[in-house]
Amino acid sequence: MYYRIIRNDILKSKGITLTTMIFVAAAAMLVSLSAILVVNLSGAIDTLMKQAGTPHFMQMHSGELDKPRFTAFAEQNSKVDEFQVLDFLNVEGTRIVIDGQSLADSVQDNGFSTQSGKFDYLLDLDGNVITAADGEVYVPVTYMKDGSAKVGSTLAVAGKTLTVAGFLRDSQMNSLLASSKRFLVSKHDYAEIKDSGSTEYLIEFRLKDLSTLGAFESDYTAAGLEANGPTLTYPLFKMLNAISDGLMIAVILLASVLVVIIAFMCIRFTLLATIESDYREIGVMKAIGLRVSDLKKIYLAKYAGVAALGSILGFALSFVFRGLLLENIRLYMGESENSALALGCGVIGVLLVFLAVTAYVNRVLTRFRKIPPAEAIRFGTSQEQPAGSKRFNLSGNRLLNTNVFLGIKDVLSRKSLYGTMLAVLVISAFIMIVPQNLYNTIASKSFITYMGIGDSDLRLDIQQTGNIAGKAADIAQAMEQDAAISRYAVLTTQALKVKLEDGSEERLKVELGDHSIFPVAYSQGNRPAAEHEIALSAVNADELGKKTGDSLTLMIDGEARELTVSGIYSDVTNGGKTAKAVFTTRSAEVMWSVIYAELADPSLTGSKVTEYADRFNYAKVSGIDEYVTQTFGSTISSVGKASRVAITVMLFINVLITLLFMRMLVAKDRHSIAVMKSLGFTNSDLTVQYFSRSVFVLLIGMVLGTLLANTLGQVLAGVLISSFGASSFKFVINPLSAYVLCPLMMAGSVLIATIIGTAGTGRIQISGNIKE
Amino acid sequence: MEMKKMITGINITKHYGSGDDKRNVLGGVSIEIKEGEFVSVMGPSGSGKSTLMFALSGMERIDGGRVTFDGRDLGTLAENELADLRRTGMGFVFQQPTLMKNLNILDNIILPSMRDNRRNAAGITEKARQLMQKVGIAELAQRDITQASGGQLQRAGICRALMSSPGIIFADEPTGALNQAAAQGIMNLLSEINAEGTAVMLVTHDATIAARTERIMFMCDGRIVSEMRLPKYSGKDIEGRVEKITAKMREIGI
Repeated sequence: MYYRIIRNDILKSKGITLTTMIFVAAAAMLVSLSAILVVNLSGAIDTLMKQAGTPHFMQMHSGELDKPRFTAFAEQNSKVDEFQVLDFLNVEGTRIVIDGQSLADSVQDNGFSTQSGKFDYLLDLDGNVITAADGEVYVPVTYMKDGSAKVGSTLAVAGKTLTVAGFLRDSQMNSLLASSKRFLVSKHDYAEIKDSGSTEYLIEFRLKDLSTLGAFESDYTAAGLEANGPTLTYPLFKMLNAISDGLMIAVILLASVLVVIIAFMCIRFTLLATIESDYREIGVMKAIGLRVSDLKKIYLAKYAGVAALGSILGFALSFVFRGLLLENIRLYMGESENSALALGCGVIGVLLVFLAVTAYVNRVLTRFRKIPPAEAIRFGTSQEQPAGSKRFNLSGNRLLNTNVFLGIKDVLSRKSLYGTMLAVLVISAFIMIVPQNLYNTIASKSFITYMGIGDSDLRLDIQQTGNIAGKAADIAQAMEQDAAISRYAVLTTQALKVKLEDGSEERLKVELGDHSIFPVAYSQGNRPAAEHEIALSAVNADELGKKTGDSLTLMIDGEARELTVSGIYSDVTNGGKTAKAVFTTRSAEVMWSVIYAELADPSLTGSKVTEYADRFNYAKVSGIDEYVTQTFGSTISSVGKASRVAITVMLFINVLITLLFMRMLVAKDRHSIAVMKSLGFTNSDLTVQYFSRSVFVLLIGMVLGTLLANTLGQVLAGVLISSFGASSFKFVINPLSAYVLCPLMMAGSVLIATIIGTAGTGRIQISGNIKE
Repeated sequence: MEMKKMITGINITKHYGSGDDKRNVLGGVSIEIKEGEFVSVMGPSGSGKSTLMFALSGMERIDGGRVTFDGRDLGTLAENELADLRRTGMGFVFQQPTLMKNLNILDNIILPSMRDNRRNAAGITEKARQLMQKVGIAELAQRDITQASGGQLQRAGICRALMSSPGIIFADEPTGALNQAAAQGIMNLLSEINAEGTAVMLVTHDATIAARTERIMFMCDGRIVSEMRLPKYSGKDIEGRVEKITAKMREIGI
């Protein structure tokens, strides 16, 4: 009888057994891959940063630099181990031409530098410190990956032609998220091209003890040293290096969790269907004295076999894909030293999947205990009692077709059975709708106001140059006389000191100007209107512990002035740490200036961009759409891609789970089906009944899923978005796709699966199933 | 007056399984049931009684031979037409009460009728209540099936079978799961229904049950091996009728 059961089980569910194995294999592969990737990634980052001697603290600065003052500071500060200032020659992308192709389209700030003397080395692909000979240039590895350059290519800059001798790994600027990229040339060549761009300084420190970094940062700020560029630290470099591959690993892990859940559902529904069909045999085996553990062993053996095969297959597959996924890490960071550890972790991951599957099977099989032998032998099906829905009576039904009524009645009286199906549909609707709404939201034009960017047509950025205030005034004057420009606003950012409650001081980037012309969205309160008001970005408000109405002491022109927080807004620019106010200062210490303009005829944006870019070559001029695309284009397209992938995967899961669920239901209901048939209900009546069950559960699932997506989903998406600075936002919903297309696709997939899954009702013979 | 033929089965064959497992269940059975007859089929387990009932009611397709119901050849009817026929022209009572667990007793009784005519729910419910009154379960209308005894459920099953005013009721061991008092109650009910003009064909291996009918067919190994007729049961001398049946059984060796 043991073998008959196993044989029947496998024969009856060949497809499902295979599907289960494939899912287990996929889960094992993904878990193993993520374990291997995590170990390799952290190992490779450590190796790279050790070999390169990544700075612990780096301040970027452009303009005048008082080097002796820095040297004195570094010498006097006991925490500093080594100190250096590197020159970085920032060259406009249009002026760098590789094999005839300029880097004009590059969103990176490309520039040249020479090999550093003490630390922060630029390394070749074998991890060695590069020495560039005259006439040679080493190109960031990212340009090798995108195919812009190869060894032997020619690179022309400022009339000088260099040969690409190789590629370099830069422990601080490797990542695409680091917006600058360093090209390495010899000292001699550097001197020759020095005038082709603007020089920025990388002020770098290595500390004796990395744990003193926080204290060192305070020392640096307190010393009032030059700092008009971004500040970066060792942990940040590490995070930048880890983030893109880390995100990939997180996605793989999430996917593996999803796959394991699907595998569990496959197993659950197949096992329950098997138990239902073999109900009488199981009763007989219990009646003749076999232990529950003996019975469990049969099924456990089968699924342990399936899980073991799947796990081995998955582990093998992880070897195939490992190379592919490690390629990026190897290219950007080099080899990891702990490959044995990686392998070990991979094996542990696979073992975990195997154990999880067998433990789950074991849990489902505890159902055996609940099968009373007498009942099983007598009835051959479980005699569970329906619950609830007493007032929903056929005799009182005038509205619904009898088959539809029976379908709904069945769902209402077996709520816990349909609960699993409902949960799948709710989750599925949720996962289909949230990424889609998120995509629509971030792709909509109004979203930029959530990002701290005014809704205008043009944006001009003036930064990392001298006399910013004067230059901004020039542009403003030009705009004043330009009839094509209907309104404009000049916003100037200054770094002002804010006095904290504990007496310490912190620098706050305050954007000064009229904020009423191109307002951003305020999550609390309003824009600053009066001189004594200030609005804080969400991240700053959080860090300073301020809310609307609180007061804040700012040092303005050497005097402490009490300001009231008028509002809080989202900002994704400048690391999300900004503030807005309308007062003026006497100081000319401007960090940067942004000019927003609106055109009388927005279709002229393109030509105006060109016109202003030509006229004011120190300003970066962009149409606002272009600015958004450049800044968030890749994020928007990734979210779009993710939402399409989510929809496809969820539709597939809907079909699979509904199919398995319906097959289980038919196995469970075969006695009722036979009774129905004996009473003269046709096969199409039964199809309508099962269809009604599906539609009923589907409707509830879609409504709940959509409600959840618009509430919890919005909150979750808000958390995600606030992680890069924006807060308080509402979904921009495309009703056609969210309320029509998505539900239609879900309904289509579930209903097709219902039809296929319940096709078996037609084959159920009355004679074989009605006799109990 | 000569009664009209209702069901005719000619040379019916039916087997289950194939190859070495092939088992002939019906080996060429011919049978006729007339309107208003009270017929029983007796025989040991595995003799093919139930299969014959399934074949005559169109619940089971036959392998050979022909079955006609009111002149219609069941072999030529599609599944849906057979279902329509079962719903409107026949009633069924099984050994276990085949009631839907998630419906109350009244809803179970009206279920097949509501499929075609839910607009007349009031009329259907009224008829169901009258039938329930007649079989003595009127007070159970709103109860779940778990709140009724086996005998009461079997009565509910009979009410359901009577809802379409069928020409015949097929009853497969209708008293098999009941105690003697309940079994007698069900048989009284079936006799009453028959007296009102509905044909009844019941399958049983119990001579005291068969003794309530007027025509008894004996089956063995997939064939009708003998048949006997008794006068209409008047409520008296059941023992004498049982004696005649058991004598016949001894005679044919089943």
